[in-house]
Amino acid sequence: MTAAHVADIPSRELDVAAPVRRSADHQAAVECRGLVKTYGPVRALDNVDLAIRPNEFFTLLGPSGCGKTTLLRSIAGFSTQDSGSISVHGQRLDGLPAYRRPVNTVFQSYAVFPHMSVARNIAFGLEMSGHPKDKVAARVREMLALVRLEGMEARMPAQLSGGQQQRVAFARALAPGPRVLLLDEPLSALDQKLRTGMQLELKRLQRDVGITFVFVTHDQHEALTMSDRIAVMSGGRILQIGSPEEIYERPTARFVADFIGETNLVEAEKIGPGRYRIASGIELDAADGGAVGQTVTLVIRPERTVLEGRDGGLLPGSVDQVVYEGTDTTYHVVLQQGDRFRVCEQNRTGARPRFSRGDAVSIALPRDAIRVLSA
Amino acid sequence: MSEATGLWRFPGARPAAFLVLAYLYVPIIVLVVLSFNGNDSALARWGGFSTRWYGVVAADADMLRSLRNSLIVATVATTVGTTIAIMAALATSKTRFKGQGAVEATLGLPLIVPDIVAAIAILLLFVAVGIPLGLVSLVLAHSIFAIPISYLPIRARLEGLDPSLAEAASDLYAPPWASFRRIIFPLIWPGIVSGAMLAFIGSLGDVVVSYFVSGPGSTTLPVYVFSMVRMGITPAVNAISTVLIAVSVALLTMSYLLGRRVQ
Amino acid sequence: MRPQAQRVSLLLPALLTIGLLFIVPLGFMAFVSTLQRGADGGVIWTRHSIDAYVQFLFERDLADNLVINTDYIRIFLRSIGLAAITAVSTLVLAVPTALWMAFQPPSRRTLLLFIVTVPFWTNLLVRNYSWVLMLRNGGVVDWVLIGLHLRTESLDLLYTPLATGIGLVYSFLPYMILPIYVSMEKIDRRYIEAAFDLGANRIRAMQRIILPLAMPGITGGLILVFVPCLGAFISPELLGGAKSMMIGSLIQQQFGQSRNWPFGSALAFVLLGLILIALWLHALRYRRAGKVAS
Repeated sequence: MTAAHVADIPSRELDVAAPVRRSADHQAAVECRGLVKTYGPVRALDNVDLAIRPNEFFTLLGPSGCGKTTLLRSIAGFSTQDSGSISVHGQRLDGLPAYRRPVNTVFQSYAVFPHMSVARNIAFGLEMSGHPKDKVAARVREMLALVRLEGMEARMPAQLSGGQQQRVAFARALAPGPRVLLLDEPLSALDQKLRTGMQLELKRLQRDVGITFVFVTHDQHEALTMSDRIAVMSGGRILQIGSPEEIYERPTARFVADFIGETNLVEAEKIGPGRYRIASGIELDAADGGAVGQTVTLVIRPERTVLEGRDGGLLPGSVDQVVYEGTDTTYHVVLQQGDRFRVCEQNRTGARPRFSRGDAVSIALPRDAIRVLSA
Repeated sequence: MSEATGLWRFPGARPAAFLVLAYLYVPIIVLVVLSFNGNDSALARWGGFSTRWYGVVAADADMLRSLRNSLIVATVATTVGTTIAIMAALATSKTRFKGQGAVEATLGLPLIVPDIVAAIAILLLFVAVGIPLGLVSLVLAHSIFAIPISYLPIRARLEGLDPSLAEAASDLYAPPWASFRRIIFPLIWPGIVSGAMLAFIGSLGDVVVSYFVSGPGSTTLPVYVFSMVRMGITPAVNAISTVLIAVSVALLTMSYLLGRRVQ
Repeated sequence: MRPQAQRVSLLLPALLTIGLLFIVPLGFMAFVSTLQRGADGGVIWTRHSIDAYVQFLFERDLADNLVINTDYIRIFLRSIGLAAITAVSTLVLAVPTALWMAFQPPSRRTLLLFIVTVPFWTNLLVRNYSWVLMLRNGGVVDWVLIGLHLRTESLDLLYTPLATGIGLVYSFLPYMILPIYVSMEKIDRRYIEAAFDLGANRIRAMQRIILPLAMPGITGGLILVFVPCLGAFISPELLGGAKSMMIGSLIQQQFGQSRNWPFGSALAFVLLGLILIALWLHALRYRRAGKVAS
């Protein structure tokens, strides 16, 4: 599907749900201020502030129970926050029921209406907002083309595969022409292969339709590959917002560093500008962070370190486990103090794992492999 | 399937189950067969196939009047009870609230109290309040029982719905009533039908409560049959009993087939 | 809150109907049981008396002294006994049936469930009447036995406590099969496979895995059979004789030929009490079982 083709999808002309159309460019697509939501003793949302930019693919990432789904449901209107406010393109949504909110949702379970055909499903939102029949029919055809389900309009959901139901769910949510689409773990029910395909497809859809996607997932790989920006959540708070690269390369919180990708976390004491001492007494250099005398956490990605022979590196230890993973090999090294450390190496052509269990080794830490967290 | 392997066969269970199923059905089958007995007495002496007793039943004006009463009462009580049950089921399914246990216990109460106790309690109230015993009192009494009977299948159906469906409707701009009419109602329809059928069958089959709260001109069919049986056994009773069985079986089969088709 | 208000308005019709037309009458019945009986039936609304409860235990002899009368107690004990025997008999019949049903392939299970449900929803009166045809003098049972030369004369089964028992078991058997079937069907097949794998034979698997896991269905079934049996009216009325009267008929008599409403209400109230005790015992057991599980 080309951009030229997409241009004639009149999503803006269909004045469906958002009464506020004229908005300044700098205005956030979704803005949350001071959102709090408690379930009994649990704080699902703990004073969340968030501004999502227009037309970006924004992901809420975190483990289950971190509040990401509650946040999404609050924007959609399925859950009412205890305090705080939510606006979409400048329109305050607080107190509006879900059926008056200018956003649409793709559900985790798809929630395709089982008693309606594909076409009736896609038409539902348009019919509910009172569009004339011919306009609805035209829009349904466009949506079918967009999600590549032409010819399936008369099918019932039970006759569709999981992936096809998923497409119907997308088409149905996009049909009313929302400027913000909410996606609640829409890929989690698909098997791995289909999922990778749908990730690309979803990204394409977002680019083609040119609207804001707010995507919820617990899958970091999914988040990294698809998003423009990611908000990492834990315990009802947003810990960090940034591009995938920022989140991965420059985590600002220990939780973020640990949750995204494989990480070695090493406690160290700062003993001078850019100089740190770890528990074994070994001193090393890294970027500056924190105050002298403070305990900091060193974040070291396994693939940035190099495993050397007994004397080549900085941290001595012995190989405890060698895990062959196809493209990579991960060595689990036991350091002298008993701490474990992971080193990941890409498997080059023909090369075999260079070390085996029991080998005395040492780990080299390039200066830029270390990220210092002072908190 | 592992179910087909020998380990799953518990010796004795199968013949016992067949005996039990036979026990459940033989008397009913005997009754149906005897209703076509041309013999003058209801004894087990076969007098040739005949439908004459159905003719006798069809000519019995009192019986026809009681049948009409039964149908009126069952129809009205089922409609009222099922409507109330749909509302109650919408309020209690897929949610937890304070006092839910008490609400559900209250809804189930009419099915727990023995019908003889329920019957005299309702009778005493009607007498005290001055509601005359007749079709109105019958409809009121039968509606009480129609609520819990139809509530259970409707609620079960609602519990089986993906909660996202209602949310999706609301997300697509359907206000609550439209969401109910377009999404929820069509999806729980089989539950409503089977609930209503069971309530109808229950009303049509009731003897004890009707016996107490019906008045002189408002006898229902089962009460009429009950008094016939107590006065003496005639082959006509076999015929009308067979008709009652046929109605129940037909309604149940419809409800069963409907449930299967939807699955 | 709005959802709260919506829920209340949805529940209101049901709660009002059952409250006003069912719970209030039960309370009212208790009130009537404390009233004095009217001279020609009915009650005197303004005059209270405990006559009804006295009558349950005592009667006046010729010299107008109260002497203990065990007639009514005996009817109650007979009802409890028959209800208990019925509950146990249905249990014995239901367990193998439910077991067999639960281990059929799923498609056949639905059909079997339907087959068991049909009698459950067939007119209770008609079902009991069918046993009149079976058991009466010269009825089907006699005809078969005599035809097979096993007997030469009638068994005279009808109008005996045995006939009542047969009718009660027949009436309430589905109440026992269905809950046991449901709880057996829910048992994860892998538990039983694990038991076999760990060396249990079929009897041990039954004893140690299936029956304990089916226990909620079994106790539920016992309650579902025992409770309505206690107040049964149709089976004893059609199949039992005057000598095997049960509570239901006794209550009905007070509103029929005896025209003693307070006494009838008192009897119904005592019956209701017995049933509440049975339910309470069941709940107690259930709660204890729940505690053990947690």
